[in-house]
Amino acid sequence: MKKVTEKQAIYDIAIIGSGVTGLAAAMYAGRMKLKTILIGFPPGGVIATTDWIENYPGFISLSGKELADKITAHAKEYGIEPILDNVTDVSQQDGVFVVQTAFRQYRAKTILFSTGTHYRKLEVPGSDTYEGKGVQFCGLCDGPMFQNKTLAVVGGGDSAAKEALILTQWAQRIYIMVRGDRLKAEPINLERVNQSEKITLLLNTNVTRIEGGDRVEKVLLDKPFQGNKELAVQGVFIAIGSVPLSDLAKKLGVKTNPKGEIVINRQTGTNIKGVFAAGDVTDTEFKQAITGVAEGVLAVYQAYKYIGGEAVSSCVDEEYLDCPMASENLRKQPE
Amino acid sequence: MSEVPEDIAETVVKRFEEELKKPVRLVYFTQEMECPFCAQTHQLLETVAKLSENIGFEVYDFVKDKEKAEELGIEKIPALAILGGKDYGLRFYGIPSGYEFQTLIEGIILVSSGDSQLPSEAVEVLAKAATSPVHIQIFVIPTCPVCPVLGAMAFQFAVANSNISVDIVEIAEFPHLVNKYNVIGTPKAALNETTQFEGLVPPMQFINFIQQAAQGSPTGISPTI
Ligand SMILES: Cc1cc2nc3c(=O)[nH]c(=O)nc-3n(C[C@H](O)[C@H](O)[C@H](O)COP(=O)(O)OP(=O)(O)OC[C@H]3O[C@@H](n4cnc5c(N)ncnc54)[C@H](O)[C@@H]3O)c2cc1C
Repeated sequence: MKKVTEKQAIYDIAIIGSGVTGLAAAMYAGRMKLKTILIGFPPGGVIATTDWIENYPGFISLSGKELADKITAHAKEYGIEPILDNVTDVSQQDGVFVVQTAFRQYRAKTILFSTGTHYRKLEVPGSDTYEGKGVQFCGLCDGPMFQNKTLAVVGGGDSAAKEALILTQWAQRIYIMVRGDRLKAEPINLERVNQSEKITLLLNTNVTRIEGGDRVEKVLLDKPFQGNKELAVQGVFIAIGSVPLSDLAKKLGVKTNPKGEIVINRQTGTNIKGVFAAGDVTDTEFKQAITGVAEGVLAVYQAYKYIGGEAVSSCVDEEYLDCPMASENLRKQPE
Repeated sequence: MSEVPEDIAETVVKRFEEELKKPVRLVYFTQEMECPFCAQTHQLLETVAKLSENIGFEVYDFVKDKEKAEELGIEKIPALAILGGKDYGLRFYGIPSGYEFQTLIEGIILVSSGDSQLPSEAVEVLAKAATSPVHIQIFVIPTCPVCPVLGAMAFQFAVANSNISVDIVEIAEFPHLVNKYNVIGTPKAALNETTQFEGLVPPMQFINFIQQAAQGSPTGISPTI
């Protein structure tokens, strides 16, 4: 949390959510000289809880936290100081957006929702009872507590594959429970899963119940594995996707799809003027750090134009004929 | 990690130059026959101390310098007291390696200025919550990327309010505490032996736990991340 001195200032843009999307947007907003407030908690968002990122252009491999820290440092270069707090309410009063945190209120001409997602919980008996007692959500945070243990990772996508791979550092055996008939991971991660001697894939398998004493001791399956519907595990890591954090946006009347994702147009605009959204909270199909970052940057540019900023030409060479400004200049030239 | 990688050292030096305006004392407790992590911790802290001329490094023997240990409330080793113009109650038990290196740096910067960096409204709310002493223990591991967020927030609270003291405990070195506090995930916080929570919580929620601990009302666990 950083000290804020200006109380009643009207910001050009309030960015809610400081995952990579919000951080990149804030960096750009700083460059566009927009009076910017970035509020989010926790800093870095979901990417900070994953160990290695190998598909963010320019970095062959780095940890998610490193990536978030780098974008934070980049934003700070342009004078952005993220406020570490939860936004509890948003409203629109007299054409200005009012953003409420636990401690302060901020006013802004535009809003960018980069609120991302939260882990989806597994809705089976025992899941709530054992949350924090063996039902976990972050391999990096909790993996070392499961040294030489047998674990279940529940999920069928790339996050499940990555969680299982992270957990191989500590666990003795890991079962990935996949509801469908294949693990839909990035091909490179799928290959790693298949090569790992510690990981076993249980396809077409659902966990129906989690049981134990003080802590998790076993999962019950809807289909026998090695002739048994009970599997002894000491931990269950859940990676079954996520729920978009769009409730605040909905309060402003922002349109969401049946999944709760904010519906945006190609320019990241929502159905409400001055309200933009980017990253994992939106209805974009392919949700990655790079796509969120790109949307965040685009949103800031739209916000900049919305509050009256002049369009910025992306033409580097005015003599380049495809560039609208260049062709105009060429047209003006005497014969 | 007992040596600080060059690129990280450079970043820290830059931050110290900008933000470390007043002296800080790193008071380290070890013992003659150093415990498994003591030597590494010793080396790491010595290296950090060299990154700014505003940092002093003092080493005490936990057994021989019993009085000093008692004065600073040190009950186990390796232990570090991070002292600024006064003792704000910031302690680090175990090696501050991996992501926890960040918590150490934040602690040093906070005690140097004596400014919690919290918004004034948060300091006021905290003052109303921490009406009696609250001792916060935060259990962490070096690979936990979100732990430094909770640790640094707790350090801010300690700097802002003299009723609050904070121990960051790297659990690999203190397995008996893992059992005592039933640590399955990190970060996990234990306040005054009455209140516990697991996971990363936003500032206001953390302050609510502090209030419960100050009032002596027990709570269970509320996992978030
Ligand atoms: C296990 C795993 C592995 C992954 N691996 C990769 C990978 O290798 N490469 C890749 O490109 N992508 C990867 N991804 C996807 C990538 O992490 C996301 O696409 C990206 O991080 C989304 O960023 P975001 O900023 O849009 O959302 P988030 O990271 O979800 O950030 C949103 C932030 O806003 C905060 N927030 C929400 N509501 C509020 C509020 N009311 N007040 C304050 N703050 C709020 C949230 O708490 C969060 O901190 C992975 C995801 C997972 C889960």
